[in-house]
Amino acid sequence: MTLLKVAGLDKVFGQHYALTDVGFEIEAGEVHALVGENGAGKSTFIKIMTGVYGLDAGTIEWKGRRVDIPDPGASRKIGINVVHQDRHLVPSFTGYENLFVGLEYPTNKSCIGVSWKQMKRRAEQLRSDFGVEIDLTKTADRMSPPEKTMLEILRAMMLECQLLILDEPTASLTDQEAEKLFALIGRLTAQGTAILYVSHRMDEIFRLSDRITVFRNGRRVDTVLTAETGKDQLIRLMSNAEVKKGHKRSRNRSSGEKVLELSGLSTKDGKVKGTSLNVRKGEIVGIFGLAGAGRTELLETIYGLREPAGGSISVAGKTISSPSPRNSLDNGVVLIPEERKRDALVLGMSIRENMTLPVLKRFSGWLKLRSRKERATVGSWMQEMNVKAAGSEQAVGQLSGGNQQKVVFAKALLSDPVLFLCDEPTQAVDVMTREEIHRLLKAQADKGCGVLFVSSDLQEVLDIADRLYVLHDSRIVAELDNDGVTSEQVLGYCYSHGKGSEHHG
Amino acid sequence: MVETRSGISYVRLIRAYGTVAAGLLIILAFSALSPESFMTIDNAINISRQISFLVIIALGATLVMAVGEFDLSVGALASFGGVFAAQMAVAGYPIWLAFLAPMAVAFVIGFINGWIVTRFRVLSFITTLAMGTILGGLNFRLTGGATVFENIPDGFRYLGQTEWAGIPVLSFIMILVAVLFWYVMSHMSFGRKLYAIGGNESASRVAGVRVAWNKNLAFALCGMLAALTGILMASRLGSAHPTGGDGLFLSAYAAAFLGMTSFKEGVPNIWGTFVGAAIIGILANGLTILQVPTFMQDVITGCIVIAAVLMQKLGRGNS
Repeated sequence: MTLLKVAGLDKVFGQHYALTDVGFEIEAGEVHALVGENGAGKSTFIKIMTGVYGLDAGTIEWKGRRVDIPDPGASRKIGINVVHQDRHLVPSFTGYENLFVGLEYPTNKSCIGVSWKQMKRRAEQLRSDFGVEIDLTKTADRMSPPEKTMLEILRAMMLECQLLILDEPTASLTDQEAEKLFALIGRLTAQGTAILYVSHRMDEIFRLSDRITVFRNGRRVDTVLTAETGKDQLIRLMSNAEVKKGHKRSRNRSSGEKVLELSGLSTKDGKVKGTSLNVRKGEIVGIFGLAGAGRTELLETIYGLREPAGGSISVAGKTISSPSPRNSLDNGVVLIPEERKRDALVLGMSIRENMTLPVLKRFSGWLKLRSRKERATVGSWMQEMNVKAAGSEQAVGQLSGGNQQKVVFAKALLSDPVLFLCDEPTQAVDVMTREEIHRLLKAQADKGCGVLFVSSDLQEVLDIADRLYVLHDSRIVAELDNDGVTSEQVLGYCYSHGKGSEHHG
Repeated sequence: MVETRSGISYVRLIRAYGTVAAGLLIILAFSALSPESFMTIDNAINISRQISFLVIIALGATLVMAVGEFDLSVGALASFGGVFAAQMAVAGYPIWLAFLAPMAVAFVIGFINGWIVTRFRVLSFITTLAMGTILGGLNFRLTGGATVFENIPDGFRYLGQTEWAGIPVLSFIMILVAVLFWYVMSHMSFGRKLYAIGGNESASRVAGVRVAWNKNLAFALCGMLAALTGILMASRLGSAHPTGGDGLFLSAYAAAFLGMTSFKEGVPNIWGTFVGAAIIGILANGLTILQVPTFMQDVITGCIVIAAVLMQKLGRGNS
């Protein structure tokens, strides 16, 4: 029986199509895998199905009837539930209490108080039905990652759930823990619940799923039967087949000194594991990895926002013993953070105050800030970077995203950097600004700076990087000269280091 | 285009100076109601002396608010400063030392407040509430619960009870502190950093600002100003009570919140706090002259703070 049928689905953000003409079907009781690169539109699709986003065009049919899903409540009501990677549990609530969040509590005889007894009975019934072994009297913050995942799935099953969406459910689970999850999935499908399984892990997809739908650039590329498909074929479907004509800059094959050298760098929380890499003068080095591979964490550790637990960082030949943002800036290392509004700008302050914040010392006379010098410097950088604003006193929060990013770059350039650490530098900016930022990074490299940048847009990495590292599960799994490398090859590295080939200890 | 811009700037003007205008209205109202006792030079001088304590302690609170935190121990710190200074004076230490030592100790206590908040990421609310409780207890321990007033040397009363050219020394000190901190906050890199931290802590950290250190300093300076307030009160009264400064705590925050509605809209700022404290002081003075009972003064002051904050919120909603 066809449970869900979508057709002609469009979702537009501004001028950008996140989904274009997406259509496919999910059968009752099947495990349907959804795969695609970062930004292929998987998350957007999930959000439409769960009523977080509205859709701009297209139809959704549920059991043969057309439906609207205007809000998350509506989606739960018809029987669609999602279990996210970042879990939505109330930490201080017990398992029982979490199961009933958002549901009507069973009341006791007085019709006022909650009947805890009845609540527990219902929860225990459900728990034993699915053979889930967790202690529901524990509070959520004391549960292990797999217990939390199980609890979330149970919560989804509290209501008649016919389509369960699992978004990277095994991201934080060990192999044994994942096994338990797979067993539960088996029991769910046996009773007719369909699973939409979103994952980057090839092994799981091939093991669990009946069919696979592939998204690329917001379009559905194909839906295939898992049994008739090979891994290579799937990667080919996911990788961008269009070959954009390369406008790579010519460069002297780097023999420059190393601006940055990491050896065996790790952090306590395991977000960075034994990472060794280097960036030479005049070189643009890209880091590509799938979401959750530890890209941002790596840059933050180099910059000094996370405490390293082992290994060494050296900048321009000098070993950095205690990395901190202040030391980094003094050594000429600048960070362009991923979350611009959160980490890069003080939105309520003016362009001037934002730009000079890292280099205030330079404008400090005896006791006093030299405001004339400050204004002059900021003015010339605004011109240089082509920042469109009413003036240097305008609050940064009032600028457009592209202009904000230019302020971020001007701020970085003000501290005379030798090494740029860029985390998704062109995220959420318009095409023009994107080109300008690429040009700027290239110009800085030509002047002898090193650039280390992270992007989840593989095409961008292949366009501007001289060399690239592939990051998987907090480790570097490949180093490639960007010389005839194809996106298929790079994705191959990402996926071939799946769960199965790792050791847990 | 030009029209909308001037329209916006009107709204801005009203929002930035609305509280100041309200203050002037209050003055006009009192002048009309009680021309011969309110609108006199003597009374103006009197008001300037009365508000000096509130201004100084509220400026300290403003520094901590600028970094996005609260210091609820300012009242207890003020009491502590007064008691400590009076006892040192009684014990025969030189007056200058009796004034400076408590300020230094309060600086350290404030720093500890900040250190607990920044090092262990405890809410400043909880930390400083606990610190205030500790100090409240210590103040009683220091004094045995009694007011310190016997054997206080005359020199101790100098700052509080002398006038220069007809103007109280207290008023001079208030102006001096306000100008000093205005300068620090708007013309020194330290002030810029405090505002940056309050505006976006994470971005400030990325920009190389030593967030914890600067926050600790803000708490320390706040503690020092609170102690100074207590000392000046003791000097004015010629005695020190273990809870003498406690009552200033709520008014200090009322003044700072009123201040956030003026000049730099939505941001704690020095002159805003000054105006806020002045409004509260003028209200107290005028209402006393009109023989309104003290408890009604509190009711009116509270209502004015709420009204000012609401006005500002509504103004923002329209634009």
